[in-house]
Amino acid sequence: MSGLLIDAAVQPFCRDGREIYDYMDEVNRDRGFPDVESQWYQAPGGDYDESLYGKGYPGSDPEIASRHLFEDDGVDVAILNPRTRGNLPDFQLNTAVCSASNRWLAHRWLDEGNPHGRFRGTIRVNPEDVPGSVAEIERWGDHPLMVQVGVPLQSRDLYGRPRFYPIWAAAAEAGLPICISTNGGAGLEYPPTPTGHARTYSQYIAFMAYNYVYHLLNILTEPLFKEVPGAVFVFSDGGAEQLTPFIWKLDTLWLGVRDQTPWVDRPPSEYLKDHVRLGFSRLDKPPGDSVPIVDWLAQTGKEDVVMYASNYPFWWRNHPDDLYEGTTKEQTEKVRWRNAGEVYRGVTAEAA
Amino acid sequence: MQVRQPTNKGARRSAREYVVCRQEDLPPGRMVIAPVGKFGVGVYNVHGILYAINNYCPHMGGPLCSGNVYGTNLWDDVRGRAEHVLDGRIARCPWHAWEIDVATGVSVADARKRTRTYDVRVENGEVVLTR
Repeated sequence: MSGLLIDAAVQPFCRDGREIYDYMDEVNRDRGFPDVESQWYQAPGGDYDESLYGKGYPGSDPEIASRHLFEDDGVDVAILNPRTRGNLPDFQLNTAVCSASNRWLAHRWLDEGNPHGRFRGTIRVNPEDVPGSVAEIERWGDHPLMVQVGVPLQSRDLYGRPRFYPIWAAAAEAGLPICISTNGGAGLEYPPTPTGHARTYSQYIAFMAYNYVYHLLNILTEPLFKEVPGAVFVFSDGGAEQLTPFIWKLDTLWLGVRDQTPWVDRPPSEYLKDHVRLGFSRLDKPPGDSVPIVDWLAQTGKEDVVMYASNYPFWWRNHPDDLYEGTTKEQTEKVRWRNAGEVYRGVTAEAA
Repeated sequence: MQVRQPTNKGARRSAREYVVCRQEDLPPGRMVIAPVGKFGVGVYNVHGILYAINNYCPHMGGPLCSGNVYGTNLWDDVRGRAEHVLDGRIARCPWHAWEIDVATGVSVADARKRTRTYDVRVENGEVVLTR
């Protein structure tokens, strides 16, 4: 059906809380840090899909994940993005955890767990440590199966700010997009909404992804794309439906206050196709047939930036068929693989 | 820039030409609105060069020439920084702050949006507008 299927957001986990320590450097191996299952907001029956619990954490066995993704769901290439516990107060320990994550992913998932060659990886970096992040990207940038750089959505500053540019420049230099995704619950972070903490899981999940809007508005307003013309940002948690009202407002206001940000020399919406991608899940789609999906996807160019994202193994994960009902053939192809193929190196050629 | 309302010195000279004012009444940095056309025409003296644009913003029809006149900021790709340019040449509509270059009538943000320009010259010490 409509060619390839690239899954832009799969979260691989360690088998248990100890596994990652085997990959920590010697200096930090004896330090303790939080386990992955420490989110404040738990889905019913736990944060991960109940059927996925085996011997270890869900999403921790490459063989089982391969069966679920490649056989059951028909995925051709899956982009793995591990979680790294958020912004730990000790930023050097945080960098060490990111390094361990990269060694673990390259060994367990991209090498020994990858006989079919369909897994791709994410270089996790700690944006609170700019030189450490640049070094980590230089260390892994030419690994043929690492296809993006990953940072937490829950940052302590907006990602369009100049202090982050060396990280984005290193990523662009290596030909890698920067994935910004929810990755917290254990570190230093602001409340998930501007007015504090949500009460329940549904309130949290319904709003959390929208925090990308703050980063996006900032990224489109700072001189980022003049300083780092090759930067591409992926917001893999989704929230594409919010793109439309915000980009309408930004374009409208820009016409009157363009002189305040002269580096933005075309309407902000015109940057999206070249510089922005969003994960696309069933939570982003209008429920049922409440809105004509063809028009909805076409509005403000959403169809050019959304990529299929299963968010395996989370409770709210998607299956590919959840997404295409009523879309045109061209839209379906964009969602399934074309939009991802434009930003992730090598994913379309090798999967064919 | 100071704004002057239509001056009583103006006069229709022919079907195609209108005498706006005497040259000394429109020194550099000044603007006069001539009662020409449906909305009036703003006649500007920018550093000694005269320009005339329709007093009608291409956005929503606001009284473009009754706003202030500024320069604007553009990105200089060679220098890699923002530069203040076109000083005294950018009319800002008082309604939504759109920037219009009085020399061309074109919006700075969106070159597809423009207001009408008019020919204007000095003849025998008088500022003459061609409709």
